Amino acid sequence: MLSDWGAVFLFFVAAVIFSAGGVVTGFVLAPRRTTAQKVTTYECGVDTIGPTWVQFRTSYFLYALLFLIFDVETIYLYPWAVKFQSLGLFAFIEMIIFLFILIIGLWYAWKEGALEWM
Amino acid sequence: MNGFPVLTTILLAPVAAALIMTFIPRNESKLIKCIAAVGTFVSMALSLYVYFSYDTALGGLQFAEKIPWIRDLGVNWFLAVDGISLPMLLLTNLIGFSAVFASWNVDNRPREFFILLCLLITGVMGTFVAHDLFIFLLFYEVVVIPIYILVIIWGSSKRVTKEYAGMKLTIYLLIGSAFLLVGVIAFFVKAAGVLGQPNMSFTALAEAGKQLSAFDQTWLFALMLFGFGSLVSMWPFHSWSPDGYAGAPTAVSMIHAGVLKKIGGYGLVKIALYMLPVGAKFWAPYMAVLGVAGVTYAAFAALAQKDLKYIVGYSSVSHMGYVMLAIGSFSVIGINGAVANMFAHGVMAALFFSTVGFIYEKTHTRWIPDLGGLARQVPRLAVAFMLAALASLGLPGLISFIPEFTIFVASFKVYGGLAVIGIAGIILTALYALRAGANTLFGPPREEYDHLEDIRGPEMVPLVVLGTVLVVGGILPSLLFDMVNSGAATLMTHVESAVKLGGVFK
Amino acid sequence: MIPDLSLIVPELAMAVLGLMVLIFGLIIPRGSRHGLGWFAALALLGVTGLVLAGWNNGGNLYGNLYVVDQFSQFFKITFLLAAFLVVLGSMRYVDRHLGGQSEYYSILIFATLGMMVMSSANDFMTMYLGLELMTISFIILVCFRRLEAKSLESGMKYVLLAGMSSAVLLYGLSLVYGITGTVVISEVGKILAMRAPLPLLMLGVVMLVAGLGFKISAVPFHMWSPDIYEGAPTPITAFLAVGSKAASFAILIRIFVVGMFGISLNWELLLAILAAVTIIVGNLVAIPQTNIKRLLAYSSIAQAGYILVGLVTASQDGVKGVLFYAFLYVFATVGAFTVASHFYNVTGSDEIKDYAGLAQRSPLMAAVMVVAMLSMAGIPPLAGFVGKFYLFMTIVENYLWLAFIGLIMSMVSVYYYLRVALVMYRNDPLDSTPIAVSAPVTVTLVVAMAVTLFLGIYPGPVAEVVNNAAHSFFMH
Repeated sequence: MLSDWGAVFLFFVAAVIFSAGGVVTGFVLAPRRTTAQKVTTYECGVDTIGPTWVQFRTSYFLYALLFLIFDVETIYLYPWAVKFQSLGLFAFIEMIIFLFILIIGLWYAWKEGALEWM
Repeated sequence: MNGFPVLTTILLAPVAAALIMTFIPRNESKLIKCIAAVGTFVSMALSLYVYFSYDTALGGLQFAEKIPWIRDLGVNWFLAVDGISLPMLLLTNLIGFSAVFASWNVDNRPREFFILLCLLITGVMGTFVAHDLFIFLLFYEVVVIPIYILVIIWGSSKRVTKEYAGMKLTIYLLIGSAFLLVGVIAFFVKAAGVLGQPNMSFTALAEAGKQLSAFDQTWLFALMLFGFGSLVSMWPFHSWSPDGYAGAPTAVSMIHAGVLKKIGGYGLVKIALYMLPVGAKFWAPYMAVLGVAGVTYAAFAALAQKDLKYIVGYSSVSHMGYVMLAIGSFSVIGINGAVANMFAHGVMAALFFSTVGFIYEKTHTRWIPDLGGLARQVPRLAVAFMLAALASLGLPGLISFIPEFTIFVASFKVYGGLAVIGIAGIILTALYALRAGANTLFGPPREEYDHLEDIRGPEMVPLVVLGTVLVVGGILPSLLFDMVNSGAATLMTHVESAVKLGGVFK
Repeated sequence: MIPDLSLIVPELAMAVLGLMVLIFGLIIPRGSRHGLGWFAALALLGVTGLVLAGWNNGGNLYGNLYVVDQFSQFFKITFLLAAFLVVLGSMRYVDRHLGGQSEYYSILIFATLGMMVMSSANDFMTMYLGLELMTISFIILVCFRRLEAKSLESGMKYVLLAGMSSAVLLYGLSLVYGITGTVVISEVGKILAMRAPLPLLMLGVVMLVAGLGFKISAVPFHMWSPDIYEGAPTPITAFLAVGSKAASFAILIRIFVVGMFGISLNWELLLAILAAVTIIVGNLVAIPQTNIKRLLAYSSIAQAGYILVGLVTASQDGVKGVLFYAFLYVFATVGAFTVASHFYNVTGSDEIKDYAGLAQRSPLMAAVMVVAMLSMAGIPPLAGFVGKFYLFMTIVENYLWLAFIGLIMSMVSVYYYLRVALVMYRNDPLDSTPIAVSAPVTVTLVVAMAVTLFLGIYPGPVAEVVNNAAHSFFMH
């Protein structure tokens, strides 16, 4: 008899077979004809020009991070806004605190020069 | 007994001295030495007072102090003395006081030296006055670290480097104590099961111990025998002892050979034997055999030595063999002999080491072929040396005759032939002790030692104090034996009744 | 509905404190931020006071997701005191070698907050939240000497390995969740007590042990710690060794002793073997080390092994032993690392051979180092002895072999500790100028030494507190 967890185990096995199977079949069936075109670096379908190991400025990274933080903030703001009527004052204060913490972060980033393009 | 915590005072006087010393500028070496002397003198005077006001007719625990300490382990700050621990306490203080004077000429970082020495003395005393197993353990290992530091800084490197000697000494004792600790913890847990609540006092543990099954008692005793045995330099766990003594500075050799080793013997009697009688009964013959092996092996080894300190080192291993033999005889007389012999040997070994220390200090050698004829140049030192040597071979009229005689009586009854081999050891002892004396002190005087000054002033103190005890103890043995007997009789009554019970078989 | 926040006042205070320090850093000009260390230290002491004030108020919040009992409060006090001592001992170091005071102190405070959350968390999510808050804070702190390759290297290693261990841990947690259908630890305990263990659950347990084994640096999951301890700024190493480890033990205890209590027979032996291996390897590998921080790292691995011993029997006595040992371990470790960090401040070296003659250059530092190390070795009358007594007391009945291994190895550890003592006490210094010890460092050192001695000689009061804490833990 198969217990509940036997099903989970079967699921595991199936998952392993499924994922490994794809790779293995591809490996077995795929024709191996390499051309110069095929082994070049793939970047948006266009041939690369110059060296591909470019170092990006960290400013990109900082911008991305800051954007991400406020991007995620909106995820929290939506459900809060939808239920705002029923949540009452406490939720309002909580959200203010949340925003306040984020603003301190922004202030810090600003002060430390993360927003300046150097 | 008027409520004044005299044992705690004895214990804390050297600590107080050490604390005061930390605030004294390091170049005031005279003052530092005086403070150390005062601290140890207070302890010695008080322990003499305790010794002579102890009521031997009454026996049992006296001068008890008890303060709750750790409730959930049933630990109390429980200090008390009986007929077995009191001679040991007195011995510690006699030697401690002498050791301060034996180190009077230490000029390399004296402040650190005397602080560590005072802590060392306290640690040793603590084990003897504790009547609580936990407090006993606290003090048991306190001594290891001061000794290590004393050896590596102030020791001497002759045949082995002092680093090697110090580390060997330390690791041996610690490994031994690791086994001891396992035994003690296991015993404590089992005893707590029997008693229904944790209790660390010796008396309670002894009551619990005799109710353990014979099997439990046997293996627990084996662990304790290994732990205490390596401290008492029981053969074959003795090899740290000669090397360690050779590397150590005089005061450390004195305290180590004089009293520290005795903690092992004391622990065997007062803890292992007292609390696990059936286990002790099982192991007694083995202890006797190991004891005799130690006596003869170490005596032969001493014969082959040319370094004075090694001779004394092996001699102390050999004498401890008698103690093991005595404990192995498993009788009141035997325990009497064991404890008395520990006292006697302590005084004698300390005197021996302090004279060797002075000889080394003055001639800068301990190598017997390089010495000779010192009796002319340093007569007072020579007297002390001979006194120690003669006590070592058990000359009647000196302190160690009666204890050794007692041991032979006790062990001959039980072991017969084995005891005879042990007795034969005394001949070897006479041989090496007298030969060492003859080659060092007599013969033609050497001119390179003509300029030597005999000991004087503070240097005389250890020789006078210890020498007096050697002689007085030999002439009036009842001073020691009445005391020891009052303790040993009580202890063996308990042990024998427990052996009859034979352990509880579960 | 407003939940009763009075129970988590210390946590709220820590969050506010962390932000305040950050804001102060924004307001105060760069050159004059030295006062921040004092502010942070005193505030941490204040928060400790808050925890103590609420000592008797227990309870739970958010539907049993967050438990405030004496067990968690004891851990919180431990973390806060550790943070206090680290801040106090590291002010000079920060000013001189690190810079960025406001970031340093505020991240340190957030790391402590993470630990506090961990000790109180009663469900996997909250626990993981605290764990990550702590870990991420530590990642930043580890590579705080951002101009030094070694520090960055250890930061990178820490990111990768912490991430990996978190993944393993999460996987284990998800398996347990999958089987029990709940993330609340006490519920997990109730469900598992009624069911026979499944192989899959065992897989989950193994994952949990592995994931948490990383955090407490138990062998064989210890490889990261020496490298990271060596590369990180020394005060952070101290905090990592103390706080991160103690907090991980807090959740380890909660998961195993509460959550997995019903199946304790299945993991006791696993933990016993883990403890034995950790003790042996940690102590043996410490012997050949020549760098003081690596030596302390390996010794702290061994210490983790000793603490694990308390978990083996899943009993109240064992938990008591863990609490007591964790507490004393804080003082010994912070003491030792503060000496190392101050020594580095003055001489720029972490090599043991450069400690020659320290006893003459600074008797206090040498004494604290020796006391701290011997306490870790368990030599009486120092606290470590009592701690080991409590720990090994619980296992002599069923795991006598482990007691043998533990006690013999702790005597072996004396060997390498004494080698340091040898160098400090016997050797003559190459440079005999005395080392001046500044006031805050002196306070740290004296507190560490005094507590270590006091707990060894008179452990009664703390033992009683610990006893109550362990008892409260078994109430629910």
